[in-house]
Amino acid sequence: MTFSAEKPNMIEFRDVHKYYGDYHALRGINATIKAGEFFSLLGPSGCGKTTLLRTIAGFEDISSGVVLIDSKDMANVPANVRPTNMVFQSYAIFPHLTVEENVGFGLRKDPRSKDEKAKAVAEALEMVGLKGYGKRAAHALSGGQRQRVALARALILKPKVLLLDEPLSALDKKMREQMQVELIKLQRQVGITFILVTHDQEEALVMSDRIAVMFEGQIAQLADPETLYRRPASRKVADFIGTMNFAPAAVLSEDASGVEVDAQGFGRMTLSPDQVMGGATSEGNTIGLRPETLTILFDGQNATDREVFGTVEEVVYYGDMTYYDVRLDGAAEPLRLSMRNVPGRPVLDIGAKARLGWSPSAAVLFR
Amino acid sequence: MEQGSKKGRFGGSEAANGLLLISPTAIYATLLLAAPLFAVVVYSLMVDSKAGLAGGLTFQNYIEVWTGRIDRALMLRSLTVSAMVTLVTVLLAYPVAYFVSFHIRQDRKSLWLFLITIPFWTSYLIRVFLWKVILGYNGVINSGLMSLGIIGEPLTIINYSIGSMIMTLAHAYAAFAILPIFVSLEKIDRSLLEAGQDLGESKLRTFWRVTLPLSMPGVIAAVLIVFIPTIGDYVTPELIGGGKLPMIANRIEAVMLKQNDKALGSAIAMTAMAIVALVSVAFLLLNKRFLKGQK
Repeated sequence: MTFSAEKPNMIEFRDVHKYYGDYHALRGINATIKAGEFFSLLGPSGCGKTTLLRTIAGFEDISSGVVLIDSKDMANVPANVRPTNMVFQSYAIFPHLTVEENVGFGLRKDPRSKDEKAKAVAEALEMVGLKGYGKRAAHALSGGQRQRVALARALILKPKVLLLDEPLSALDKKMREQMQVELIKLQRQVGITFILVTHDQEEALVMSDRIAVMFEGQIAQLADPETLYRRPASRKVADFIGTMNFAPAAVLSEDASGVEVDAQGFGRMTLSPDQVMGGATSEGNTIGLRPETLTILFDGQNATDREVFGTVEEVVYYGDMTYYDVRLDGAAEPLRLSMRNVPGRPVLDIGAKARLGWSPSAAVLFR
Repeated sequence: MEQGSKKGRFGGSEAANGLLLISPTAIYATLLLAAPLFAVVVYSLMVDSKAGLAGGLTFQNYIEVWTGRIDRALMLRSLTVSAMVTLVTVLLAYPVAYFVSFHIRQDRKSLWLFLITIPFWTSYLIRVFLWKVILGYNGVINSGLMSLGIIGEPLTIINYSIGSMIMTLAHAYAAFAILPIFVSLEKIDRSLLEAGQDLGESKLRTFWRVTLPLSMPGVIAAVLIVFIPTIGDYVTPELIGGGKLPMIANRIEAVMLKQNDKALGSAIAMTAMAIVALVSVAFLLLNKRFLKGQK
């Protein structure tokens, strides 16, 4: 997950705007994607992530701003000469061609001999796990196989950037998880910059070196998965990436060493400056805690840091995990928390009294 | 519905209900299509003399048709004219269909298709006469060119020629060619065209390698729809050709009604039908090749 900053820039967006008539689809995108990075554009549908991807591919003209690929301005560079290739959401496999004709589609201008090209096609198919499928008709393939053909067809051209437009959304859960791992491995193997568009936060967290979270045509936060999860820049990002419990808080004092707050139900605490987020959105002061940072303490267990008390309102058993809704005494909203089910640990019933352990170091303050 | 028995709404089995539903059409087709066709087949194997149709089954008429100079020449002319009409119509229809499918906003497409059908609100006969007014010896083009002093006397190449027949027929069948091509273009997933460009091909090359092959079923349907009726066209040679350039249908009419030789006329008709069937089957096989790999 760590990423060295010395790598050269592969893609740069400088104040990119895109209008469709009156609709402002991209509202000033500034971002840099490094060479060899697995980068994700994450956001709800309609946030502009696919539009942004298509500006890299050359399928969308931008209204203003600059898109650079490998330090070259892409204005007036048509899609067919850009050093990018795309895996389409629908895979866009040519139905009138065989698998190998699909994979070899982009090799027409390749100066290599026919035999060498055939060998390259066979190697590309082997790389995506479709060895021996070359002669098959494209329409006879399953969804997962189509996707592999689309990958082979793009990677055989050795692009500088591979663009993936929600490539896993059409697959079932098992297949999706398998393809996530395969894509990560493939990216490490070929070393090409991958840019993935997805609305699935888990997929983005699992696969990416860095993620840009987008809302309404703007990048809300650009960070590595861990920062994004542990230090979301706003309540909106926190809500989109997983679950977070919020509690209203009053700021008592602040200085260079941190902010002292009094949070409803949790009491007084001092948060270091890196735990304090935003200021621009003025959502009111709220502290946020992820579900797994709250722990139910059973008899004989002591809190490692602090304790609060509440009542179990809902129990959802997931096999490996149990999710609880616990309402702190006097709180307006219940807290969501998750506990790993380990041998010997009981599952609480609705209505049971619960003692929760937590630590201010896991909290963030949204201002 | 009871398990195990397939009872339809009319009480019988589904197969019986199906037969019941198609029976009016089936009876109609049998009486008015199959029976006359059968009669023509029988006629073609008989001998027509002054005394009327007679004789046992003989291939004499067919031998006369296949060796006869006039019949062969007219059959060839019919084939040439309909092949030319088909070529011209499909070549002109494709860009129109392409334009409507790719460059017209989704909500305006049906309006455009509606506009394309407007010429068909008048009968074919009237449209042929209109072409006659334009192309005729004293028609719009000739009198226009003469009054401008460009030509001294009426051009004969534009009236009573194969060319003017092709022009008239191509216009008549334009919409029938546009529609199937339009439908096949509409079915093409637009991301395939983006994929073509993404993989390094220009828009023109992408058209050549992706759009055209995927629209071939529509093109072949258009070819059949234009080719089959034009080969047997009767009105256009009569009116535009001025009777000087008869096609096979005019020949059948002349033999059947003027010479009153039903047997020979039937043999010509059967021969023409066989040729059309042969060409159609060839195109259908071609279509099967293009349809392979498409859902």
